[in-house]
Amino acid sequence: MTSNIIKDIRALRALVVHPHDAHAEELLKQVRRIGCHAEAVWPPPKALPAYADMVFLEISENIPDRIMRLLDDDWTRRPTLIGVAGYENPSVLQGVLDMKVEAVLTKPLKAYGVLTSMVMARRIWHDLRAKDRALQKVKEKLRSNQTISQAKFILMRLHGIDEDEAYKTIRSQAMTKRTTTAEIAQAIINADGILGNISSKKSHSND
Amino acid sequence: MGSGMSGKAPWRVGVLFSQTGVTAVIERSQLNGTLLAIEEINEAGGVQGREIEPIICDPASDLTLYGQQAEWLLRQDGVNVIFGCYMSSARKEVLPVVERRNGLLFYPTLYEGFEYSANCIYGGAAPNQNSVPLASYLMENFGKRFFFVGSDYIYPRESNRVMRNIVRQGRGEVVGEHYLPLDAEAAEFEPIVQEILRTKPDVIFSTVVGSGTIHFYQVYKAAGADPTRVPIGSLTTNEAEVAEMGADVACGHITAAPYFRNLDNPENRTFLQRYEKRFGSTTHVTSGCEAAYDQAHMFARALAEVGSTDTERLRGALVGAEFQAPQGLIRIDPDNNHTYLHSRIARVNAEGEFEVVRAVARAIKPDPYLVFPALNDWSMWLQASGSS
Repeated sequence: MTSNIIKDIRALRALVVHPHDAHAEELLKQVRRIGCHAEAVWPPPKALPAYADMVFLEISENIPDRIMRLLDDDWTRRPTLIGVAGYENPSVLQGVLDMKVEAVLTKPLKAYGVLTSMVMARRIWHDLRAKDRALQKVKEKLRSNQTISQAKFILMRLHGIDEDEAYKTIRSQAMTKRTTTAEIAQAIINADGILGNISSKKSHSND
Repeated sequence: MGSGMSGKAPWRVGVLFSQTGVTAVIERSQLNGTLLAIEEINEAGGVQGREIEPIICDPASDLTLYGQQAEWLLRQDGVNVIFGCYMSSARKEVLPVVERRNGLLFYPTLYEGFEYSANCIYGGAAPNQNSVPLASYLMENFGKRFFFVGSDYIYPRESNRVMRNIVRQGRGEVVGEHYLPLDAEAAEFEPIVQEILRTKPDVIFSTVVGSGTIHFYQVYKAAGADPTRVPIGSLTTNEAEVAEMGADVACGHITAAPYFRNLDNPENRTFLQRYEKRFGSTTHVTSGCEAAYDQAHMFARALAEVGSTDTERLRGALVGAEFQAPQGLIRIDPDNNHTYLHSRIARVNAEGEFEVVRAVARAIKPDPYLVFPALNDWSMWLQASGSS
């Protein structure tokens, strides 16, 4: 994975969102020199173009709404972001944090270091997404385990079988119906809920 | 010379090549190339009636001296331009000094790429101009089992990274890889040569630089290896080193470079005649020497155009400039300050002369940020070579 970050760096398409000045010019030239497709845009567009894999954004002490609006609230849908900052004061640094950029370039902009920042930003961007996917998987797994346990207890109670047999029942149902054990388990829980309601009403009316 | 010009202050430039130490052989040839060009310019009346005066330092192949002497040069009255450096590690010492004082460094040496400084004009080959063609040639003609030997610093390691990528893409393999200190003695090459004889690679790729080059080739020969069957391919081994190691040792080995001494064209003939007249012999003319010569001439033309050694003004005249060099027409690429150069592969014959076995028709655009050379990069190059 990490070796691919360097290998693939020239396949990136970059967008520079920064006022047209010497810094933007230098940055654009260096990104192109590195071999990436790069364009510059200012004022900020209404939305980031879909092609942009990497976006360089000016970070000032007061980040305009039109810049904040560019950034998807769902960070997993964001391109890799690199801030371009002119100062190191707390206001600007707060902007760096608020915009959740993966790396920062400082002005005056130098050609040295741009490639390193791009590589670092890309690694962090990939890492965050990989960790997020892993976390979602773990959460999903945990949910389905809870569901299956609950379904197992229902079967054990209703049929007087042990936990092993309960699980085998769920699994064979899943195989027959070509679905997941979690879905069968959920169906059992739903059915038990409905049946439980009906039977409890019955017994209630019989009283 | 130029007594008529004595009334006007000269244009002073710094010259920073080692005349002693491990890289002296090649750097002296670069110094000579620089001085020859400057003398040609002065004999032709100077630039705007003023001579160019070189202030020559000898950093003695010592990295710290490069930085110190660059600093000293730029503090001299009127010096804003330095010609110099061979090893990347030396350039990395000089460049921060040149950038801080906003000077201009002319660097006439091949290097590993991944650099751009507005304060440097790069006159040597980037890997896409020499490594990629050499790898393709070696794989095509000798085989796919490579053995890497290099000096231990940044250039060999990065060159080998590029080479390894190309070899792997061609389904080849690297069967051995060793790095030695720059001042390695002959004895240190012996176990490596023994390992080469044992592992039987198809070809050796050497990024050994400086005096170690001569030891390596001599030990290889003494061990009874046959360079016509298993040659050493290199990007740096040059005419001066071949002269030192001897024709019998060098015969059969291969080098890729933009320039070889025995190219037959009017510019090269004139260049060699003048060089011989000035230095007595052309034994030490190398591609680094030719690049240094080209850069000094290109500087003088830019200086004549803008009449100032101010970095911004000089750079403005230099980028995009062309020069009919001994290697052929070259041009400074405005995108990256590197140079469009020719790409040639040559093999040493029994007389110790490089014979060009493959060449491209036109200078190749430099691509200093070539991260991952693709197989089709060099197959395209192979097609191009057929036409020349």
